[in-house]
Amino acid sequence: MYENTKLIELVGISKSFGDTQVLKQINLYICRSEFVTLLGPSGCGKTTTLRIIGGFESPDEGTVLFDGKDITGVPPYKRRVNTIFQKYALFTHLNVYDNVAFGLRLKTPEELLPGVAKPTRAQAREEIDRRIMRMLRLVKMEAYAKRGVDALSGGQQQRIAIARALVNEPEVLLLDEPLGALDLKLRREMQLELKNMQQQLGITFIYVTHDQEEALTMSDTIVVMNGGVIQQIGSGKSIYDEPKNAFVANFIGDSNILDAVMNEDFEVSAAGRVFECVDEGFDKNEPVDMVVRPEDIMLVGEDVGMLNGVVKSVLFKGVHYEMIIEAGSFDWKVHSTAMYAPGSRVGLSVVPSNIHIMHKMAREA
Amino acid sequence: MKRSFFSGPYALWMVLFTIFPLIFVAFYALTDKNGAFTFANLAQGFENDYMKVLWRSIRLALECTAICLLLGYPCAYILAGKDFSRHKSLFVLILLPMWMNFLLRTYATMTLLEDTGVINSLLEKLGMQPKKLIGTRGAVLFGMVYNYLPFMVLPIHTSVKKMDERVIEAAQDLGANPVRVFFRVKLPLSVPGIISGISMVFMPSVTTFAISRLLGSGMIHMLGDTIENQFMTLNNWQFGSALSLVMMALILLSMGLLNRIDINKSERTNNW
Repeated sequence: MYENTKLIELVGISKSFGDTQVLKQINLYICRSEFVTLLGPSGCGKTTTLRIIGGFESPDEGTVLFDGKDITGVPPYKRRVNTIFQKYALFTHLNVYDNVAFGLRLKTPEELLPGVAKPTRAQAREEIDRRIMRMLRLVKMEAYAKRGVDALSGGQQQRIAIARALVNEPEVLLLDEPLGALDLKLRREMQLELKNMQQQLGITFIYVTHDQEEALTMSDTIVVMNGGVIQQIGSGKSIYDEPKNAFVANFIGDSNILDAVMNEDFEVSAAGRVFECVDEGFDKNEPVDMVVRPEDIMLVGEDVGMLNGVVKSVLFKGVHYEMIIEAGSFDWKVHSTAMYAPGSRVGLSVVPSNIHIMHKMAREA
Repeated sequence: MKRSFFSGPYALWMVLFTIFPLIFVAFYALTDKNGAFTFANLAQGFENDYMKVLWRSIRLALECTAICLLLGYPCAYILAGKDFSRHKSLFVLILLPMWMNFLLRTYATMTLLEDTGVINSLLEKLGMQPKKLIGTRGAVLFGMVYNYLPFMVLPIHTSVKKMDERVIEAAQDLGANPVRVFFRVKLPLSVPGIISGISMVFMPSVTTFAISRLLGSGMIHMLGDTIENQFMTLNNWQFGSALSLVMMALILLSMGLLNRIDINKSERTNNW
């Protein structure tokens, strides 16, 4: 896994475009060799955060620290980070080889060969060639070195974009929805490949996506953002199992979110009855959100469960059925491998540890 | 009904106003006054006097194209940039002269450059010696640059404008400072615009006739003037046609050369 030293730190970052504030006081740190995903719906500020780390936007307030040094005002070409852009942004006037060579050719022979006393240009050219071919092999594109980039498929262009960035051996790689333009199958393959590369090379990855499944598959740490504010930071499992608020619960996986009232510790009222739960520390009679995952609801016989309900609709989802069941004047979303026909009467049951109680979110735009 | 039906009017237009006149030009160029076949007209076109005029035309056109490129590129580049893209009026100012008839523009230039024109009376008021401006090579070159500059600015502006901002950011991201971003990415990506600009300026420059006659006071003869003379004054259609053919060959040759650079250097894009 990753070392526990802070490599990048954002302190109190705010940013507005015109009248819209896209980032509100963001505080975040990223460790060396960590795979961090910024996850959220479009317009949540995740891409702006990435662009501030890359140096393409400057924050209105706050500082960006790299290895403890303030780099807030440093231009992109002086930062030790490389970016993979959403639509790859390859150089169409150059072929595959020259695209990958772009960053290396901007370096001096001394920078390319730090071990050699007085490196010549010819030695530098050899070193560049060696690194490019190694990188093209890594992304399985060595046969395409002399091709123009326009002739490549989306997946191939993606690989070249990755090679072009990684060949510079950056300490941090920023990825802005890099797989968004690929079809589902290719996306799954590339997810695994990117994750493997990250672990092999030990580079810090900061990955932006709106796809929660992608985030859960790849990340060490997920940062859930909404409305320019960080909602929750944690491992995929902790965010899925213990969402902090109704937004996170709803965005990561499916959820039933009910208006509820906390009667006392370990006891909550919702959908016309009282449930036992494992949460404490709320105010007496505090209005709360009660969250139950669809797969945590068990279907039992009528009058055996906690609630009785009627199946309103059924959808086949491959591994499971997704049913909407009306019970206690609430439409519950339920996932089950057993199918109950619409109109049938069933009982619903939930174990206390699967009921999550959350403070009501401040309802703001 | 076939779709090719709709290209009918265009085909008819081409035949009537391009193919037929071309056949006539070729006919006149290859016959003598009695209608007998001859190469004499073409051969006369390669005589020393006319080669001199041809060379002068090419040189002036090349100079005009070079000046237009040197002035037009920065202008188009700056206007396409972030700071100016919201000020549409500046761009309109570049285009404005194009909306006026070019003869009108050239007459206006004449009143500027005349011996008793605007510039010379200004010099006189400032107590300086008036300068001979009209009737010089410089005046003709000035008139050509003034007339053809927008044709350089427009295609370059288009090619700079449509550059993907992300591609430029990618170059910065890979370590290129602003100067290197320009020479390694922006300039190569604007080559298609430069190529169109060059052809848009060079073609009309090399065939110019009215500008050189008006601003050159008849002293600076260009190929276009010579051809006009043959038809309008000397009534020698045969030789005029032969010269036209030579000029056409020249233009086709230079266009072919330009297109080769275009294919080799960058993706082919049509700005115009």
